[in-house]
Amino acid sequence: MEFMSLLHPLGVCVVVAPSVLLAVLGVTTLVGRPLGERSAIRCMQASVAVGLACAVSILGIMLSTGIREVPIEMGDWVVIEAEHFHFHVKFIFDRLSVPFVILSFVLCGTIGAFTSRYLHRESGFGRFCVFYAFFLLGMVVSVLAGTIETLFFGWELVGLSSALLVAYYHERQNPVRNGIRVWAVYRVADAAFLIAALAMHHLTGAGDFERLTGAGAWPEGVGVLTSNQALFVGLLLLIAAAGKSALVPFSGWLPRAMEGPTPSSAIFYGALSVHLGAFLLLRVGSVLASSLLLSAAVVVIGVTTALYAEITARVQTDVKSALAFASLTQVGIIVAEIGFGFRYLALVHIIGHACLRTLQLLRAPSLLRDYNVLENAIGEHLTRDKTIWERLLPESMRSWMFRWALERGYFDSFFNEYIVSPFCFVFKTCDAWERSWTDFLAGGKSRVSDELATPSDELIPDPEFAES
Amino acid sequence: MNGTAMGIECNEDSEVEPVAACAAIDPTRLKQIIERAALLLPMQGPITAFAFLNTLQALEHLPFHEGLKQGAKLYGCRPYMPANYYREKLAHSRKRVEELSAVLLEDLGDSADVLIGFLGTRYHMRLAMLQYTLRMADVTELEWLIAESDALRKFRADAPGLNRERTIEETRHWVMRDLRNGASTRQAARISADASEDQRIREVVQRLFEAFGKSQLESWSDDTWEAYTLHLLWHVCQRGVERVMENNTPTQRWLRHRDAILEATGEDSDRLVHEALTRFTACFVDQGFAGWMLPGRDQGYFRAFKAYYGQGKGPPDRWLRGLKAEIERLEIAGMTPIESIGESLQMLGVDETEADMFISATLLALRGWAGMLWQLEVRPDRVPRSVAPGTLIEFLAVRLILERIALTHLATRPNVATQELQIEQPLAKLRTVVPPRETSEEHLTIDQTAFMLFQLAQVRGWLPRDLHGLSQADWEALVAEVTAFSGLERRRLLHITFERRFRTHALDAIAARVRRAPIEVSKPRFQATFCIDAREESFRRHLEEVAPDVETFGTAGFYGVPMYYRGAADAHFAALCPVVIKPTRWVVEDVVYNLEETHRRRAVARRALGTASHSVHVGSRNFAAGALLATGAGALATVPLVARILFPRFAAQLRRTASSFVEAPNVTRLRLERLESTPSSEGDGIGFSLAEMADMGERALRDIGLTSNFARLVLILGHSSACLNNPHKSCYDCGACSGQAGGPNARALAVILNDVRVRAILSKNGLAIPDETYFIGGMHNTCTDSITFFDLDLMRRDHLHDFEAAKLTLEEACRRNAHERCRRFDLAPLDISLDGALRHVEERSEDLAQTRPEYGNSTNALCIVGRWPRFRGLYLDRRPFLMSYDPTQDDEEATILGRILGAVVPVCAGINLQYTLSYIDNSGWGCGTKLPHNVTSLLGVMDGAASDLRPGLPWQGVDIHDPMRLVFVLETTEQAIRKIMARNETVRNILQNEWAQLAILDPHSGTLQVFHNNTFVPYKPESTTLPHAASSLDWYRGWREHLDFALIGDWA
Repeated sequence: MEFMSLLHPLGVCVVVAPSVLLAVLGVTTLVGRPLGERSAIRCMQASVAVGLACAVSILGIMLSTGIREVPIEMGDWVVIEAEHFHFHVKFIFDRLSVPFVILSFVLCGTIGAFTSRYLHRESGFGRFCVFYAFFLLGMVVSVLAGTIETLFFGWELVGLSSALLVAYYHERQNPVRNGIRVWAVYRVADAAFLIAALAMHHLTGAGDFERLTGAGAWPEGVGVLTSNQALFVGLLLLIAAAGKSALVPFSGWLPRAMEGPTPSSAIFYGALSVHLGAFLLLRVGSVLASSLLLSAAVVVIGVTTALYAEITARVQTDVKSALAFASLTQVGIIVAEIGFGFRYLALVHIIGHACLRTLQLLRAPSLLRDYNVLENAIGEHLTRDKTIWERLLPESMRSWMFRWALERGYFDSFFNEYIVSPFCFVFKTCDAWERSWTDFLAGGKSRVSDELATPSDELIPDPEFAES
Repeated sequence: MNGTAMGIECNEDSEVEPVAACAAIDPTRLKQIIERAALLLPMQGPITAFAFLNTLQALEHLPFHEGLKQGAKLYGCRPYMPANYYREKLAHSRKRVEELSAVLLEDLGDSADVLIGFLGTRYHMRLAMLQYTLRMADVTELEWLIAESDALRKFRADAPGLNRERTIEETRHWVMRDLRNGASTRQAARISADASEDQRIREVVQRLFEAFGKSQLESWSDDTWEAYTLHLLWHVCQRGVERVMENNTPTQRWLRHRDAILEATGEDSDRLVHEALTRFTACFVDQGFAGWMLPGRDQGYFRAFKAYYGQGKGPPDRWLRGLKAEIERLEIAGMTPIESIGESLQMLGVDETEADMFISATLLALRGWAGMLWQLEVRPDRVPRSVAPGTLIEFLAVRLILERIALTHLATRPNVATQELQIEQPLAKLRTVVPPRETSEEHLTIDQTAFMLFQLAQVRGWLPRDLHGLSQADWEALVAEVTAFSGLERRRLLHITFERRFRTHALDAIAARVRRAPIEVSKPRFQATFCIDAREESFRRHLEEVAPDVETFGTAGFYGVPMYYRGAADAHFAALCPVVIKPTRWVVEDVVYNLEETHRRRAVARRALGTASHSVHVGSRNFAAGALLATGAGALATVPLVARILFPRFAAQLRRTASSFVEAPNVTRLRLERLESTPSSEGDGIGFSLAEMADMGERALRDIGLTSNFARLVLILGHSSACLNNPHKSCYDCGACSGQAGGPNARALAVILNDVRVRAILSKNGLAIPDETYFIGGMHNTCTDSITFFDLDLMRRDHLHDFEAAKLTLEEACRRNAHERCRRFDLAPLDISLDGALRHVEERSEDLAQTRPEYGNSTNALCIVGRWPRFRGLYLDRRPFLMSYDPTQDDEEATILGRILGAVVPVCAGINLQYTLSYIDNSGWGCGTKLPHNVTSLLGVMDGAASDLRPGLPWQGVDIHDPMRLVFVLETTEQAIRKIMARNETVRNILQNEWAQLAILDPHSGTLQVFHNNTFVPYKPESTTLPHAASSLDWYRGWREHLDFALIGDWA
């Protein structure tokens, strides 16, 4: 079979294309010679086109030859024998990763084309492109990952670029604040992920999914872990997935992530990033199947998220938050589907949802026009029928529900009050102790920074009289 | 504007008596105060009807620069561009210094010659400060500059070489001869009035010798001497300033408690308050986006708030804990909103004297939402769900309650800052406990002042010796001079110079043009009337180039027909007139009777389709429907997604074809004539009476001076702009029609003027329209450069040829106009062809990703009101608003001009100031970049997930604008314009307070006069030559920037 020999180089190309893009955009920026708008766009287009073409060819070969799984070994990248540590990079093309990688390329490519006009003449154009490259590479690596450490690497790239894109307008306070918040939630999720990865290595001796999920191409693998082991690793992975996909109780960050430019919101939170958690659960599907309790937990979280988001979405008055929660509703349902074991359904659902939501988010600024068109067609102001909730619930309950929904299930408040505030309090108290101690030692004010004027809260000062 | 410090403080000095209990303010007085403060709020109503108004309209009673200064403080925005912007813009000309000097002399008047010691006059000193870029830095950066940079080693590169050599030479002599041997030498001459100063300088000189290596003194290189000289100069300057100035920076009392608590604890109470208020207000004003309405909305803001926050089992936010009890207390006390405000003020220790400033600052802290509430309250006709009168008061009451709760929370929270400051209740004392803030940014410290003088000394060639010899009084004068000519003042003058450059250029071009003969067309092939809009300038120019036998006119684009209008396929009426007018008549578009059946059928189809797509729209965001849709058909979304982004034109054609099957039939009539006597929005109350129509028709013609020499065909063109994915679409539409499409107005006027009964009345009034003249209404799409015409089915057979010829001419003008517009679009190559240009602009209007479908009125800078033939043939680069007006047809009292200016001055100046201020501080006065905008409540846009509403223009709409005040050039006399100003307060305020610049062109001679300081001064052109070009294309081809004015065409 001549085709077969092509699979390996094609597979490598799929990963190399976004890596080269990142290298080109990143290095030119680092050395202070960022590419111009047109060249940056051309690089993006070329990279996506190559990647997509290769991925589609692989799909074609796989379909025509009936191969269900193509592993691409890249070997151990870091090996420390004494510590029994190895970082094994391996990519795998199977029924899960191929559709996902094609989806990533199609959506990223479309968004790239959109960006070329949308961000035209924007001062942060180059910065956006670099983040975009980070994201694309992260997406491709995590989707194709054949070992958990490879997946973690891609996962981190996606997380990093997401947080940076939320804080894209770093001259304003809110985006930075929200960027940090997203980043903090991702940290929690990543910690769980990392522990899960370690546990997996410990239990199976390697991070290879094959080892974990047993022989057999996706989705037919049979778990090798015992039910309890699966529960432990699975719960950790569920936390990781919940953080990444903004499932309950981590949902607070999703609407906050809508601070960046519209295309970044669309691609990250509408389409790809938000599904990554679900993807992780799909990838380790056989682990879920090993433990009934675990599957139940996944279903519960999924359904809770879907219900929560459904109610919350109803009271949102701005289009981007409404779409964010609408996305979350579907992600919740998808997670529940995975919990029930409907893996193909979940996959189709993800792909359909990602495309639909990207289109909707990109068109979000058209809202007023759309409403106008619809009103003209219908001939009156748009109204919605009262929902079952509104008809059945007693008034006081309805009013309470409204507030609960408008304040997004109080998740943010709970986190602020019971986690963030105590955390800050401890550190501020330590700081105060340290200050009084050093003051005592110095016999006076010991901190130079106290003497300096508080920086103005405008991050970029207005050159009121600076003329240089 | 989360977290931005409002730049408002009380200027009362520090003696603040602890406010124990201030008297409550009388509710009626409080109401007045709030209403006054409301005028300061942004006047931008719903974004779907963009109102182009002066952002600082509330301050128009003040002179421009004063108003701007106050506005900048009030809104915390930048009043002018940074000095470097102006320097760069002015740099290109050799005349720069001349221009600066002229502006400075005019500004200084008699005080220009005041001598500052023996260092020259005030004029010279200020000129140097304007001419050179003086570096200034904050205290820490300045330390660095002095210690680490080359500032004290090398003369400024732009210092005149002669000064440099002379200063080094003289200083060398001075230190070697007079100072080197220290104070002990007997021969040392007294070099200044003060012996102790002499002692001091000798020590400095010695110290510097040591530092630079005294032993090699004889072999010091030139560079060493240069550094030595500069070090000495710096010490002299520093010492001189030190003698007369102290470093006590003025402090300002806190106006808002939020600023005090932010300073003391680093925690922003506004962040808490705004988060809650934004969420709640957005729900309250929501026009129907959310599926679930705020419970109790109908009971008003205050009660809904109490119901919302008064219920149990709320979120665990610590800061909100006291709120429920507080609401119960208010409830039991039966407090009305206004009483609650009074009480809150009392609790906060705000007395009547500062209530005005406190309330305006408090309202302005979340000005977008507050302004929207106010707009919905005063203009309930503009939205489906308005709010009750008094809502702003209720909003303020709520805001103050939340503020009290947040402040109490932050002030009593255990942390280091609160311990140190002992901030406790009551809140009344909060502002006195926190030490006042130091320095306003305009205040310079000793070192900063000295550094300023140090740089001035280099460029002006002041010697260290001479500076050292200055007396105490001289130093005082010098420092006072530097302080008085602050950075803000310098930017003001640079701004004026920048404006002057353009004004001079424009007036020179106009003066040169009017010296030549007017271009009259004796027998015009057809005549065309356009909107006053700056975008139509280029269109008219191209039309006149294509067809020299055509006459064009300009007038406000609502054509004097103010109405509420509803198209055949529209659901609602929209106001088509300037936003300052509230229409009293309604007009609808009917499908002709024999197509009624098709119309009904298609309406049903449209309704079914609309309902279906609404269900999809809503359903996709729902639980079950969303899941079905996403799983079943979601992947299909890639088709429109990819098609619309990668192939926008193709997708647009497809959509057009599809929708043509259900469109309303395009044979329609305006229901213009009213059958009943009282106007109303339905049935026979729709329309105008015959007398009203005749009035409007006559006025429209007389305004533009079209009273004779009618062509066979007169086109009346409104305009609109088509674009996608753009919440700010309305700011590209006709500004004279409240940001709506102006086609219906043009069409209405054409129908009116074709009416034989109207013509009969007009001819009785001395305005005879020949029988063979036919009016056709149309609409120019300024984005795609295409024109649609109305009521062509009514056209008489004998006008067919005229019309077809006219149409061809207009199509050619469209192509050329599109081509000229493309030169401003970076995405269109400069060598694009005419047809390519047309395709490019069409594509822009159909592209989801395009944030700049067109540039709107960005290039506006000029407004010409006069007889167009006198100006025709000038290349004006899309910069002027063009209004046709014939002074020879006007009466003594200038009635016509008066009514023209009554609308044109506020509208055009408003558009210009909106662009200019949005450009100067885009995130302050404008709405920042479009990219993170998020449409909320169907009323406006926020930045990202939650922020204040952002009124004003986006960066993508203003980025090619030149920030300067509009120059009005009116063809009239001084007497006439003075009479108009006396009659009309708005016009007077804008012109006399110079919110716009004014020049008048004599109707008979070609002389110009410029209006400044309430006097008309004859204008003397600085240059009398005007470049020629054969065609517009020859003049603009290859250029992207603004261009100079030129004569176009064949001029002998």
